[in-house]
Amino acid sequence: MIRVEGLTILFESFRLMDFHVEIEEGEFHFLLGPTGVGKTLILESITGLHKPQKGMIWIGEKKVQDIPPEQREISYVPQDLTLFPHLKVKENILYGIKAKNLNLQAYEEYVQALIQVMKIEHLLERYPANLSGGEKKRVALLRALAPRPKLLLLDEPLSGLDPSIKIEIQQLLKTLHASFHPTVLCVTHDFEDAYLLGDKITIFIDGKIEQVGKRDDIFLRPKSKKVAQFLGLKNLFRAKVLGREEELQRLILNVNGLQFSIPESLYPDQIGVGKEVDLFIRPEEVMIIREGKSVKDSLKRNLFEGEIFDITDRGRYHVVNFQTRVEKIPFEISIPNYAFRNLGLSVGKVVKVALREESLWVMW
Amino acid sequence: MIGAAICIFVFYLGLILSLFYFVGGKGFWEALINPYTLFSIRLSLIAATIATFFAVIIGLPSAYALSRFEFMGKRIVDTFLEIPMIISPIALGASFLVFFNTPLGELIQRKGILFVFEVPGIILAQFASIAGLATRLMKASLDEISPRYEAVARSLGSSSWQAFYRITLPLSFKGLLASVILSWAKAFGEFGATVTIAGAMPGKTETMPIAIFTALASANIEKAIVLILILVFFGLATLYGVRMTGKGYRYD
Repeated sequence: MIRVEGLTILFESFRLMDFHVEIEEGEFHFLLGPTGVGKTLILESITGLHKPQKGMIWIGEKKVQDIPPEQREISYVPQDLTLFPHLKVKENILYGIKAKNLNLQAYEEYVQALIQVMKIEHLLERYPANLSGGEKKRVALLRALAPRPKLLLLDEPLSGLDPSIKIEIQQLLKTLHASFHPTVLCVTHDFEDAYLLGDKITIFIDGKIEQVGKRDDIFLRPKSKKVAQFLGLKNLFRAKVLGREEELQRLILNVNGLQFSIPESLYPDQIGVGKEVDLFIRPEEVMIIREGKSVKDSLKRNLFEGEIFDITDRGRYHVVNFQTRVEKIPFEISIPNYAFRNLGLSVGKVVKVALREESLWVMW
Repeated sequence: MIGAAICIFVFYLGLILSLFYFVGGKGFWEALINPYTLFSIRLSLIAATIATFFAVIIGLPSAYALSRFEFMGKRIVDTFLEIPMIISPIALGASFLVFFNTPLGELIQRKGILFVFEVPGIILAQFASIAGLATRLMKASLDEISPRYEAVARSLGSSSWQAFYRITLPLSFKGLLASVILSWAKAFGEFGATVTIAGAMPGKTETMPIAIFTALASANIEKAIVLILILVFFGLATLYGVRMTGKGYRYD
């Protein structure tokens, strides 16, 4: 396990106090936060390139905060990649193995496997200047992984790429992680990358850790409105707890006069009646009920009628903007294309929408 | 604008060509094979090379420190590099003469190396004239190489020294080489500080620029022209060498 504890960095106008993170062996951990919050400085401090004011770093049982970068067994891929321009791709890849005086033969099979996964066999004799952006990313990743580091640090690995290349590199990172299980700490501001690749995510906003958890915990159950807003989550409403249905063990929430029902069991910490909370409804969890189709009892507790006022085709899915008839509460609804085609929706159409109780999330 | 550039070119070319008006006379060839002339050429080449060697030995680590680290007094050190460029070479030489008349200077002369009116004085004067320039030029070359290359090299297992010679040095080599060549050329043509410390003794401390001065002072035009032409030849060869170093690698 990799542990960073009490990391304190004071650098120019940047201040980070008491940062901590734990990464299990083989975990793809994302440090997700807006740009300009010092994520790169955190990586440089972990790798030993920047000296923090305070903090402990453990690689397994070994404390490494006082040893030089070359002895930490942490590989670092900066955002600008910095492939060595005077060395061929092959020499770049083998740099770490040679610098550490490792036995080249012992690593040959492993490096060959990496080369195959990264599909760069044809690039080995080229210089970095003759590589495309995506190829450079692949070489930089491979160079970092070649000496089998205990921890791989990635700084915004998917930024600045064309959409098609980005998808390709995302897939490669996924395959790479599935095949070789490196322990990775990746910083990014892009929650899509974190969602696609992250086993675990640390949300870092305004110099503070807002939430740590598995991918689904973060995206389905954000801990605060700040996290939800940063993640770009739609359908956030201010609500008030109106009362409790003791028999059904449910809470009744009021959003501008519209009532929602949520199971109490989802919230071990009791939410008091009268409390102001934030309610989040995932756009992809909102169901549009087909005309004439019966509705399950479990869905009837959050069933609303209203009108579609806008539809946007986003390529792989459609976004339907809906407004309840009563109290005019707007929802955004994401519908996969195949479902959208079957529903026969159009702007102005009156439909019923149902919310699964589990798809509602309350933050306070 | 192109006309202005051509004017400058014609101006310098005309100046050089005018020297050839006296080339070919009997005195010219005699001056060329004169042992004192050959001595001054040899002395200039050796002294400039040694002075450049020391300037690089001290200048390169200084340039690296100024390029890569923040430390107290960095700006003051940086400013002092320009001292030889802003004060007259004669003032620089005179300062050395004054220094060698202080107790410490006298001790160095007595117990260590004789500088005043000796060859080491030439090397010292040339070193003093170029050390700041060499440092400044090498710093500019190192500044062009992002420190991130070394940072990545270190994360891959290189010590700071290995990262320097495996990554930064090859990447900045052409720029550093150009800095060395230009510094050498400046040392080779140095006159003011050298003549002040080492004097103008033919066959002992007479470098080429000093020999030109003494030849002119004694109305030996042929010798002066021979030496000027040789100086121009070395100068142009040096500049050509700098051009040949060309551009460096394409960086990411």
